[in-house]
Amino acid sequence: MRRDGRTDPFFDGAAADRLVIRRCERCDRWYAPDHGGCSGCGDEELSWAEATGEATLVTWAVKHGRPAGDGTAPPPAHLALVELAEGPWLHARLDGVNASALREGLPLRASFVHPDEGESYLLFRPA
Amino acid sequence: MGEGAAIAGLGMTELGRVYGRSPRRLAADAVRRAVTDAGLGLADLDGLVVSHGLGGSPGIELADTMGLRDLRVLTVMNSFGATAGAMVAYAAMSVISGAASAVACVFADAPLRPRQSSGSAYQRDAREWYGFGGMTAALGFRDVNTPYALAARRHMNRYGTTSEQLGAIAVSTRQWAVMNPLAQMREPMTLADHQNSRWVAEPLHLLDCCLVSNGAIAVVVTGADRARDLARPPVHIWGWGQGHPGHSKERGSEFGLTTGAAVSGPTAMKMAGVTAQDVDICQLYDCYTYTVLVSLEDYGFCAKGEGGAFAASGALGPGGALPTNTGGGQLSAYYMWGMTPLSEAVIQARGDGGERQVAKNDVVLVSGNGGILDHHSTLIVSPHRKGA
Repeated sequence: MRRDGRTDPFFDGAAADRLVIRRCERCDRWYAPDHGGCSGCGDEELSWAEATGEATLVTWAVKHGRPAGDGTAPPPAHLALVELAEGPWLHARLDGVNASALREGLPLRASFVHPDEGESYLLFRPA
Repeated sequence: MGEGAAIAGLGMTELGRVYGRSPRRLAADAVRRAVTDAGLGLADLDGLVVSHGLGGSPGIELADTMGLRDLRVLTVMNSFGATAGAMVAYAAMSVISGAASAVACVFADAPLRPRQSSGSAYQRDAREWYGFGGMTAALGFRDVNTPYALAARRHMNRYGTTSEQLGAIAVSTRQWAVMNPLAQMREPMTLADHQNSRWVAEPLHLLDCCLVSNGAIAVVVTGADRARDLARPPVHIWGWGQGHPGHSKERGSEFGLTTGAAVSGPTAMKMAGVTAQDVDICQLYDCYTYTVLVSLEDYGFCAKGEGGAFAASGALGPGGALPTNTGGGQLSAYYMWGMTPLSEAVIQARGDGGERQVAKNDVVLVSGNGGILDHHSTLIVSPHRKGA
């Protein structure tokens, strides 16, 4: 994963284990890092601000990889919509969960992975 | 134009794994077939409305390709899967207002390539991913199946909808497809087949997901009085509506729970002078079994949250109380976006359904669903003049 010049503050935050998203100071509304502008006032110059990293599970899907020739299947990916404590929803990947324990409203917390190569990235784990 | 507008012609190319013809060629073929079906010539067209699929599809230059001259209406329209309904509504308004007299509406697409899986046609892939959106894609959000799975799971969580209830829709749709010579999938299917099909994105099985098809479909819309004198029985356009809910991506969003049908449906039904109780046949946009289920609720065919039980009751299949997707829909017949439900509505309203023809076809509802439940369109059509 690489930066794109538009969402770099998110990756700066991720590198320091902080969830940095967009915010309209005037309207006191929070948005996802790739959101275009404030739906309230139309301001296109949203600022960047640190969110708490607390979230709840809205809904999820499980992607099962196709088994390889030797019959071994890759571990399933748990993909979700999560609702940040500040209000916005993010499409997110869950980590450290099993499907049977998932439920609407499950408390989650932002967690960051720092690979050797490429940018740090965001996952959500049960709080 | 007191009698309103009607669909006078339907043109369909070969559909499915059709290779060797560009979307432009397919679109031109469909328009020619629709014009011929109506008993008209190309020179009779004075309007053309084009809807494109994934890519490589024609725009308004299609008119030049086909040698159409002196058109009075020519445009591209796009509200994704809701476009077919929007095109027909625009064509109807054009002929009713006198802006044009015979308007062709066409959709063409050819996303399938030889030796390529259907799923890969609708999947994003990249060597490297950039920015926050790229991160999300790299972590698994690369296809259309996943967001629809999120929507379906939310409905399940909220209302207790089950995979077996979704499967009932796959099964009833296949029952219809078995009787449709145009359908790509005509092998009978059981609920066990559905349950045993692989997960595409849990809770969606493979048999919860539509096909991917190459091809093109066109209709010709004229004034109802003119249509009466043409080659085929007119399919009268009684009402139309759209709904674009703009589900916010934040706390309080109704994503997955309701769709634009809740607005589009009442708009079209009020214009048509009908209620859900009057609808004899439904042609619902079934990119997934789930979209049928949630649309049935939003149109008022059952209460919110009861779409699963309604589907499982057998109402949608042959002999059921609400014959739905009577040609096999996008799940089992062919995936031409909103032209799939529209084409089968025309076939049923004309009484051309053969073995699968529904006896009572006075009021047919056609729905379109675009994006990830972002856009919705509704048409109400009938073999009869409105108010007759």
